[in-house]
Amino acid sequence: MAARILIAEDEPYIVESLRFLLGREGHSVESVNDGAAVQARLETYKPDLLILDIMLPEMTGFEVLRRVRESEITKALPVLVLSAKGQESDQQRMADLAANDFVMKPFSNRDLINRVTALLPAKTLAGSGQAPAAVEAPMSSDRE
Amino acid sequence: MAEISTGQRIRELRQHRGIAQSLLAEQVDISPSYLNLIEKDKRKIGGALLHRLAQRLEVSPAQLSGVEDASLVRDLVDIARVLSFDGLDEAIAGRLVAQAPDWGQAMVTLFQRYKDASETATALSDRLSQDPQLRELSHAVLTQISSIRSFAEILKDVPDLPQDERAHFSGIIASQADRLGLSAREMIALLEGNPGDEIERSQAASAVHEVEDLVNAQRNHLPHFETAADDLRRRILAAHGEGSITAAMLAHLETKHDVEVRQVEGDAFEGLVEEGVHLVDLAAPRTATRFDIARRLMAMELREEIEELARNDRLSGEDARQVARRAFANYAAGALLFPYVPFLEAAEHYRYDMDRLAQRFDGSFEQIAHRLTTLRRPGAEGIPFAYLRSDPAGNISKPYSLPGLRMPRLGGACPLWAVYAAFAEPHKTVAQFAAMPTGERFLFVARRVAKGAQAAGAAPAAYSIMLACEASYANRLVYGDPFTGGREATVTPVGFTCRTCSRQNCGQRAQAGILQRA
Repeated sequence: MAARILIAEDEPYIVESLRFLLGREGHSVESVNDGAAVQARLETYKPDLLILDIMLPEMTGFEVLRRVRESEITKALPVLVLSAKGQESDQQRMADLAANDFVMKPFSNRDLINRVTALLPAKTLAGSGQAPAAVEAPMSSDRE
Repeated sequence: MAEISTGQRIRELRQHRGIAQSLLAEQVDISPSYLNLIEKDKRKIGGALLHRLAQRLEVSPAQLSGVEDASLVRDLVDIARVLSFDGLDEAIAGRLVAQAPDWGQAMVTLFQRYKDASETATALSDRLSQDPQLRELSHAVLTQISSIRSFAEILKDVPDLPQDERAHFSGIIASQADRLGLSAREMIALLEGNPGDEIERSQAASAVHEVEDLVNAQRNHLPHFETAADDLRRRILAAHGEGSITAAMLAHLETKHDVEVRQVEGDAFEGLVEEGVHLVDLAAPRTATRFDIARRLMAMELREEIEELARNDRLSGEDARQVARRAFANYAAGALLFPYVPFLEAAEHYRYDMDRLAQRFDGSFEQIAHRLTTLRRPGAEGIPFAYLRSDPAGNISKPYSLPGLRMPRLGGACPLWAVYAAFAEPHKTVAQFAAMPTGERFLFVARRVAKGAQAAGAAPAAYSIMLACEASYANRLVYGDPFTGGREATVTPVGFTCRTCSRQNCGQRAQAGILQRA
């Protein structure tokens, strides 16, 4: 079965391209365009993966991720952060908040799909998954 | 390579213009049956006939022969390599250019804008980390670049994309490219210091590339400028007593154009702008001053011709037109100071020894080297040279390519090329017999030059200038002598760029080669 992926990104064209790419991989995709809407949608949509932009209106990606990790329901949710070149300090902050991986803008489609695939729980790829699930340990803050 | 042949091109253009085959044949002074053979690609053409046909069909000879298409194809392949787009080979690029050259050109322009914006964004990262407003703008720029890149990859990677979706995605790329330009300018305008300078510089990069394309399309030879320069030279030398060309230029500027040339200290320039006065730097080398005066004179003499060239559709805006005016005035100055026929004869006589040519014609190494690349008059051609200029950091400017020897402009060249070795030997002309991984061999001749005033405390700008020609011409050049006789020990194995080089165990490799992945 396909994975369910939530995209938190306020740039509509990035969302459109990600929808197209992930759709071609067989995943179902929903999106929110501000940080404040993420938590509520996580609870209703129950995604297998969150793709999270750092710079979101209403609530920054940092705050979103902090809340994701604090919530019992979503604390183990795999999170792929969209970061921007030249903002390495942001990556460190996101790593401290246990983001699972980063994709730097501008990204290549192939790299993004590879990272998404690597983060998805095996059962969503194997075709048996039903419920939102977690991966093992999120990335720790002392990563290289 | 482009799939449309020269013959097909001639036929299509002729039919498009509604000219009967027999009429065109008569106009270019050949028989209708011969033109028929040409159009069916059963006869190859070049030289004077190609020029006559091009003139009659109102296109450049390069357009007619497909040289322009070939150049565009190479640009697209370069871009694919720089972006590591695997699988986009020359044949596919050739088909695109053959069927939709405007789209091919649009992709090259888009890439240049992408590259300019990307470099600007990266260079400003330090500043951005401390300034929230700039951080936000930087994020916007990179996000726009991301959409452009992502949709461009989709267009490339998904061959079965429905036509309406393809058009929609192409539209997004175009609109994002426009927004990108605005964001980049907004970001730069926020910077401290002199934002005007920054904007000018970022616009300049694309403008320079556009002008390089235009010059390449003319094959770096402008016959009517040569004629005009020869004519003017004769007239002013006769009118002003057959003295030195410099004296004649000064006298002609004053009597015909009411322009007085005045030498001043470099730092006094800003306060001394007045009409009818052309300032030259007292501390500049004599060859530079002479060239500067020639450029000013030719800019005035050939104002209309230069304007006409600067109106070319390839140039997207006033920035590019300004760069073009200067480039063409430079060309005309070279044609005036180094007249075609005597210069070509001397070049052959001295076996292209640039020091002797510099002495004989009172020019700098760079002026002489550049002039040598323009000796392309049909029937009186010099050795075909490619040209490249690099600064010590490897930034390339003024690349001029030859068929079979492409000078890079979207990144650095192979670090083993003589153009870089010349920086280590400031007063020496460095010659190199270079062997490419594909087997072709070239003679490279490079020298480090300093530009700018030699005043105390002022650091002149340093460049390395390189000429390159096919190895088969080496025996006609004095620089080829050390390599004659096929001594393999004197051959330097080089590449083109690291990304496209397949050589194993190269100590200078700076990037992984994409050809090694297979």
